[in-house]
Amino acid sequence: MAISGFEGFEKRLELQFSSRDPVIGIGLRKLDFKSLEQVLHQVQCTVVSALGNQHFDSYVLSESSLFVYPNKIIIKTCGTTQLLKSVQPFINHARTLNLRIVALRYTRGSFIFPQAQPHPHTSFHEEVIYLEDNLPEHLCYRKASVIPSNFTSHSWHMFSAGLVEYPDDVPYTVEVCMTELDQTLARKFFRRPYDGKNGDSAGREMTELTGINRINPNSHICDFAFDPCGYSMNGIDSDRYSTIHVTPEHGFSYASFECVGSVYNADIADMVKKAVKVFCPGSVSVATTNASDDICVRIKGAVEQIGMKCRSWSMDEFPAAGTVVFQTFTTRRNIRT
Amino acid sequence: MGEEGQLISCHTVDAWNQHIRKDNNKLIVVDFAASWCGPCRVIAPFVAELAKKMPHVTFLKVDVDELKEIASDWGVEAMPTFLLLKDEKTVAKVVGAKKEELQQTIIKHSGSTSG
Repeated sequence: MAISGFEGFEKRLELQFSSRDPVIGIGLRKLDFKSLEQVLHQVQCTVVSALGNQHFDSYVLSESSLFVYPNKIIIKTCGTTQLLKSVQPFINHARTLNLRIVALRYTRGSFIFPQAQPHPHTSFHEEVIYLEDNLPEHLCYRKASVIPSNFTSHSWHMFSAGLVEYPDDVPYTVEVCMTELDQTLARKFFRRPYDGKNGDSAGREMTELTGINRINPNSHICDFAFDPCGYSMNGIDSDRYSTIHVTPEHGFSYASFECVGSVYNADIADMVKKAVKVFCPGSVSVATTNASDDICVRIKGAVEQIGMKCRSWSMDEFPAAGTVVFQTFTTRRNIRT
Repeated sequence: MGEEGQLISCHTVDAWNQHIRKDNNKLIVVDFAASWCGPCRVIAPFVAELAKKMPHVTFLKVDVDELKEIASDWGVEAMPTFLLLKDEKTVAKVVGAKKEELQQTIIKHSGSTSG
């Protein structure tokens, strides 16, 4: 492992709102671009590409992704971004649209380079203090927890807060983190010099060459290739998003895959399997939020089908978010301590 | 003509037909957008700039709610979608608020190096 390098592990924030008006309409999608840019500036990232449909807007950022639904914002950033600084600005902007925050969820894995993180991300403890200080009091059900795996270097950190104790019948989310990417496969995410392409067309080429477009053939993909290396994509399929981010450099290689599922789609396990196969990583973690046992078991089976072994399965319950299951896998030869 | 260098909004099917059937050998770039779509707002100023810098290309704007059937006929499923047309046929498509890709694709098909 390198001594220092780009931090691929993301911080993810999900904010849910409800409208004081009888009908929410387009809700948060009404936020003008200038306001969004202001918030993103505080987090130190910018919009690189974007795509929307009748259900939601998706943005590829310089350091990951942003999704804006009428009643929900999901923002996921990597590197040394100060993601939690977006909490107050988002709550304030939503208030101007007569929207009130009703739930918040913050998750992340374990940083590869924790010493490089700025305040308030210097530790989970700091992050929780920051969130507690910046959330309105009416979100009274709160919990912070670190879900362990067999490896001390790899845990799942989560903070959730809500107006109500139990989540609605909402879709579940699947957050996959992969490290020690196969080097030959990771090389596909480096720009070739003098390829005559721009970030958009190079991104499109990576999507097709690596088979990322076959993970969910129904989705419209918005992709981008960074210079000299790195890749991001958002997929939109009806009201569901998926997103992939790649840090391909050897020594701190990382890739993430995240998607949303509901009872109406039985293909999540298959999607996870296809995504993992794009990278053939040495280790994988899968965190599901609000998914049934059946889904978790299916995902476990799918990852094991491609030659990985489940090393741990841990669970915890969170207010307003539901049950979180955290599984870790390594290749059969790769037993880390 | 007074329309060159501007983004022309098509509000009716007739206006649409009139513009795409104009037989003047110009490349037509159609911006399919929606008022409720954030990504469309992101790229709107850039498209207006392109229209100004490339008067030899016709830029049309279609609101997908206003002209639902046309958006559907031309296969628009996500926004913004930019279609490049010549002789009423699609020669290229850019899906998403992709500035560099849009500019380079237009230059490639407009037969000029300006922009």
